[in-house]
Amino acid sequence: MIEVQHLTKRYGPVTAVDDVTFRVEKGEILGFLGPNGAGKTTTMRVLTGFMPATDGKAFVAGYDVFAQPIEAKRRTGYLPESPPLYPDMTVREYLAFVARIKFGRAMSPAERRQRVDQAMHKTHVDDMAGRHCGKLSKGYRQRVGLAQAIIHDPEVLILDEPTAGLDPKQIIETRDLIRSLAGDHTIVLSTHILPEVAQTCQRVVIINKGKVVAVDTPENLTHQRKGSATLYVQVDGNGNAMDSLTRVPGVRRVTVADRHASFTGFEIEAEANRDVRRDVARAVVDSGFGLLELRPMRMSLEEIFLQLTTEEQTQEAANG
Amino acid sequence: MANTFRNISAIAGKELRSYFASPVAWVMMGLFALIFGYFFVSYLTYFVRQSMQSQFGGGPQSMNINMELIRPLLSNASVLVLFLLPMVTMRTYSEEKRSGTIELLLTSPLTDFEIIAGKFLGTVGLYAALLVVTALYVAILFWFGRPEWRPLVAGYLGLLLLGSCFIAIGLFISSMTKNQMVAGAATFVVALLFWVISWFSESVGPTTSQVLSYLSITEHFDDFAKGVIDTKHVIYYLSFISFGLFLTLKSVDSERWRG
Repeated sequence: MIEVQHLTKRYGPVTAVDDVTFRVEKGEILGFLGPNGAGKTTTMRVLTGFMPATDGKAFVAGYDVFAQPIEAKRRTGYLPESPPLYPDMTVREYLAFVARIKFGRAMSPAERRQRVDQAMHKTHVDDMAGRHCGKLSKGYRQRVGLAQAIIHDPEVLILDEPTAGLDPKQIIETRDLIRSLAGDHTIVLSTHILPEVAQTCQRVVIINKGKVVAVDTPENLTHQRKGSATLYVQVDGNGNAMDSLTRVPGVRRVTVADRHASFTGFEIEAEANRDVRRDVARAVVDSGFGLLELRPMRMSLEEIFLQLTTEEQTQEAANG
Repeated sequence: MANTFRNISAIAGKELRSYFASPVAWVMMGLFALIFGYFFVSYLTYFVRQSMQSQFGGGPQSMNINMELIRPLLSNASVLVLFLLPMVTMRTYSEEKRSGTIELLLTSPLTDFEIIAGKFLGTVGLYAALLVVTALYVAILFWFGRPEWRPLVAGYLGLLLLGSCFIAIGLFISSMTKNQMVAGAATFVVALLFWVISWFSESVGPTTSQVLSYLSITEHFDDFAKGVIDTKHVIYYLSFISFGLFLTLKSVDSERWRG
């Protein structure tokens, strides 16, 4: 549905996006993850036809965004970082105007009204229909922005930080809304909030300094980065289980992860491709300790993200 | 083609609505009506005094209301337009850039031409509304006398074309900056420059002099104020407007590339 090939965007001497390639399948939600200034917004602006790329190609719904911009734009809904609202218009007037310019075909007032009502209903802004856009709260501004993006029922939705500046309740509502839109629409959303990606997206593109550093599902990313399998084991008592754990065959290293008055947590590093969970559980129980918790350790997205984005920096430092 | 018209009218309608939804249109109308009214009253009193004198004092010839009242009135109105329109055009693009709504327009299935033409026509629409307000004063003359209406129409057409030129300049300058004050001031200065450009014509050679007076916006307005519609002047204004819109198109396009 969306295909980006070797996309590069330079502003004078600054390279904002450097040879970015990825694709998004129909109905998928793709998270675009990166620190501020990584090139997320620039990539989205190129995809939406707001600005041309310096090099590379981008296709939306089968249309080249540079060669056939009108066709591509007709199939794209876009929510920029700050919702593009006209403060003097009421929500209804505003959405009617957007409908007028997005469809690119004749439309009866009744149909337009129906579209506006639908979009307002989906994004839960019905009760603000008569309110001026300039007088809306941040949460409502964002939702009207979303209504604007979906009004022409586009195949592709591009959302630039859709939850930025919202309170926790609104964030949850917006995420639910976005998830409910997937399926009918193919969605690309950018964020620098990591849990958001894990909760909303099926696939993640991590971008740093204009370059793609990882593309995968959130699950795979959290699994694979740790290298060898690592377990977290919580045992009651104060660390006496160490010896029995170390003796378990296949265990390479045991470290105390956290120590409390009534229980101790261990991090157990096993040999590659060896599942030591059963043996570890047995060892703990056989030595007379209570096994409180046993789980494979995954790196949180935060850790992966930091690892990926700092690896880059250290490499650069080495090269430079 | 039908699409192009629909898109242009959507943008033009939005521009007009946003003028009238904000104080801009009303304040402009009020100011314009106030100053035009002042001109109107002062010329009318002068005209009435003159015609009294020529009646009782046995003046040389009868007075023509078109030549003695309407012509100078419209000429003064054109100065007013020079001052007021930059304040209207300064926000056309700058405001969209500042508030980010330009992202909505540029990512919608519209061509740059449609956006620019829509904005231009919307602003011309507001300007036409201002002119209609002034026409109310002139209508009073029809109540009491019999001015000729044809020269009047010519005069208003001239005003409309002249103002449209300023709007085209304003649109171009506004498309280059986020700052409304800069856009307004620069538009005013450039428009003023085209206004006074013929003043040099006396101190330069004959060819340059001709070129300068041809470029002057005012020189071309004179005939309209007299009630003459000369295609030469119409073409001048139309090409001025087209050039202004063309520059806007280029400026919006280059802005895209610079990001």
